Amino acid sequence: MVVRRRQSIPHQTVRSCELTLEAPKLGLILSILAMFLVPFFYLLFVRYPMEIEIHLRLSILVCVAISLCGFVASALLIPVAARYLLRRNLFGHDLNKKGTPQGTTKVPEALGIVTGIVFLVVAISIQLAVSFLQYNLTADSDWLVEYNAALACICFMILLGFVDDVLDVPWSVKLVLPFFAALPLVTAYAGHTSIIIPKHLVPFVGLSVLDLGLIYKVYMIMLVVFCTNSINIHAGINGLEVGQTVVISVAILIFNLIQIGASTDPDYKQAHVFSIYIMLPLLTTSLGLLAFNWYPSSIFVGDTYTYFAGMAMAVVGILGHFSETLLLFFLPQVLNFLYSCPQLFGIVPCPRHRLPRFDPQTGLLIGTSDMNLVNLFLRLFGQCTEKSLCIRLLIFQVFSCLLCFGLRSILAGWYK
Amino acid sequence: MAVRRRTSIPNQTAAPPNPDPGGDPQPPNAAPSPDEFSLAPPKLGLILSVLALFLIPFFYLLFVHYQIESDLRYYISICVALSLVGFGFTVGLIPVAARYLLRRNMFGYDINKRGTPQGEVKVPETLGIVTAIVFLVVAIVLQLCTLTADSDWLVEYNAALACICFMTLLGFVDDVLDVPWRVKLVLPFFASLPLMMAYAGHTSIIIPKPLVPYVGLSVLDLGLIYKFYMILLVIFCTNSINIHAGLNGLEVGQTVVISFAVLIHNLMQIGASTDIDYKQAHAFSIYIMWPLLTTSLGLLAFNWYPSSVFVGDTYTYFAGMSLAVIGILGHFSETLLLFFLPQVLNFLYSCPQLFGFVPCPRHRLPRFDTQTGLLTGTKDMNLVNLFLRLFGRCTEKSLCIRLLIFQALSCLMCFGLRYILAGWYK
Repeated sequence: MVVRRRQSIPHQTVRSCELTLEAPKLGLILSILAMFLVPFFYLLFVRYPMEIEIHLRLSILVCVAISLCGFVASALLIPVAARYLLRRNLFGHDLNKKGTPQGTTKVPEALGIVTGIVFLVVAISIQLAVSFLQYNLTADSDWLVEYNAALACICFMILLGFVDDVLDVPWSVKLVLPFFAALPLVTAYAGHTSIIIPKHLVPFVGLSVLDLGLIYKVYMIMLVVFCTNSINIHAGINGLEVGQTVVISVAILIFNLIQIGASTDPDYKQAHVFSIYIMLPLLTTSLGLLAFNWYPSSIFVGDTYTYFAGMAMAVVGILGHFSETLLLFFLPQVLNFLYSCPQLFGIVPCPRHRLPRFDPQTGLLIGTSDMNLVNLFLRLFGQCTEKSLCIRLLIFQVFSCLLCFGLRSILAGWYK
Repeated sequence: MAVRRRTSIPNQTAAPPNPDPGGDPQPPNAAPSPDEFSLAPPKLGLILSVLALFLIPFFYLLFVHYQIESDLRYYISICVALSLVGFGFTVGLIPVAARYLLRRNMFGYDINKRGTPQGEVKVPETLGIVTAIVFLVVAIVLQLCTLTADSDWLVEYNAALACICFMTLLGFVDDVLDVPWRVKLVLPFFASLPLMMAYAGHTSIIIPKPLVPYVGLSVLDLGLIYKFYMILLVIFCTNSINIHAGLNGLEVGQTVVISFAVLIHNLMQIGASTDIDYKQAHAFSIYIMWPLLTTSLGLLAFNWYPSSVFVGDTYTYFAGMSLAVIGILGHFSETLLLFFLPQVLNFLYSCPQLFGFVPCPRHRLPRFDTQTGLLTGTKDMNLVNLFLRLFGRCTEKSLCIRLLIFQALSCLMCFGLRYILAGWYK
């Protein structure tokens, strides 16, 4: 059910000196980065000049600067780490190229560890810089608690993800790892555990605000377990895992800025500023990873990456109190999970990898009867190359996010 | 420089691939299949006696000797209970993890048994990861039980967890990837950053009374320099445990002795003080030291002589970071350094070799004589060899016990010193 492309055989020794990765696809990545920064800065400086206080804007700028350093650090460290990982037999073979020469190449695995570690250093540095420069005057110790809890969760998730990649734990253990990693957040969460009942249902429920208390904390844990595992199963194509994370994090960042601009409540703004402090490093370090992971992948990201990314996004959704919006951004992942359920629960036979079939003659992927979005797209829209399939799935992700923005704007007056 | 007993690195450093089968740590025959592998049973008798030896004076101080508030007693008892559960989990999980680690070629050979059949056995490495993960889960669950969401201590507790977790991550990455030693040295710096962020306490030190006339102040605010000192303390604690190693059970053993000393110190300070914040600082230290102690004892059950598992840099960095963190957050770092006296002495004595003034071999281990089964001291400048040179040859087990007795005596001396000096310099 978890798509693993790894067939690592322990007793093969590897000549580490011979590994040279393909050059990173910097042109593509830098264009994406620019495409993102343009609307981001537009919103920050042009659209909401009055609504976002100068000190908040400065702190966001500092965050951007440090995150860009993280991008460079990731791009530089990945080739170094890849050598070490390959030397320790952490590699896989690209199953979607089986039958071609590329299918026999040993592709270094678990490079998400670089992204994760650079992210942690960047996130801590941002917090240190912002507090040292005193740009974020409204941050107080309540927020520090949640920020530190967020860091602890993300760090623990990276640790467990990397242990999983190295030791290859059974999938039943894999499923519950995010539960343990989410615990610091559950303790530290001092915010509202109440939900706003949609206006139309108020007469039936009898309340306009319902305090869920402990049930909300259970919901938080489930959200974490869902986000991490859903990215993990919507995978298997070069660049899909990192690509979907990049799209969702861009959507979250734009959403954060819109909410900061449209709000006057300092606590509310603070929630979204902290989300930016976490999403920007996630975005830039992921772009550094994508430079090597985009088709054709010269490195694989491992469960380390998918768990790390899922945790980071779940954490900001929880701390920023926008988890429903987050789930809307996760629409393709939700659909993929629901569609995969029969196979995940064993009702329909579930092979080890639910990947499409690769035809070495044509170089195209053909959809199997496996019940996931990757194969569904192939069955609906016909055979295509791996790269086109990934692009199609990412376009679907983008459309879902746009749909979500549209929905919120339409429904805003209706249910809240 | 870090004493590694591991020769399991497939391609060591930048040397070209080694075709010599004698030097190849991985014999051509495949790694043992997981089903054939079974660890020697844990030395539970020894460990449970040690545990009982700790619990008796601890509970005596907690319930009999000192008048401590009942809610604090309650929380500390919960802490002990959860930590004991952690002990059970550690002992249960280590054999499981050892199988997986061995399957992934994370093993080493016991250099201190080279030439005997035991020197051929593949000993699973990096079992510190089990200790650290169980520790983190226990510490997190403990936080759920003892702290409320609006407690002031939550910031520092989470920062401590983040640091210890980050250190474990970096230590495990080091064990898996075998990073160069220069990188190894600075890993603790990065791992300590969350603590720098969260530390909102005093950055001032109390000038010893006799020096006040010369300094002109009784309290000196060091500000940033204090934060710099914190980073140095973290780097020191982690690396000093790492280099005072190399014998079966030494790394875990020293951690057990020091953490026990810290726990007694914490209780004594709680009992002797009336300041709420001060008591809370030491209670906080207890909440972290107890899980460290019990999970380490679980590891020691397998790591005590003869070791059936090795602990890896994961453990030494994790333990060093935990101790440094509570020393900093509990504001008793000078006391901590006194408990670390053997590590300080070992570090100072090792300096010439560490800095390259004296030639430094890969492992600074004693020489093992297969005939007698005894270790003989070499000229290497560390406590392990010094003890052998001073007190004569002995078995690995006796040497480890001697070094741990030295550790225990240092801690006792430290208690004595604080008692004598208490009126004198503070």
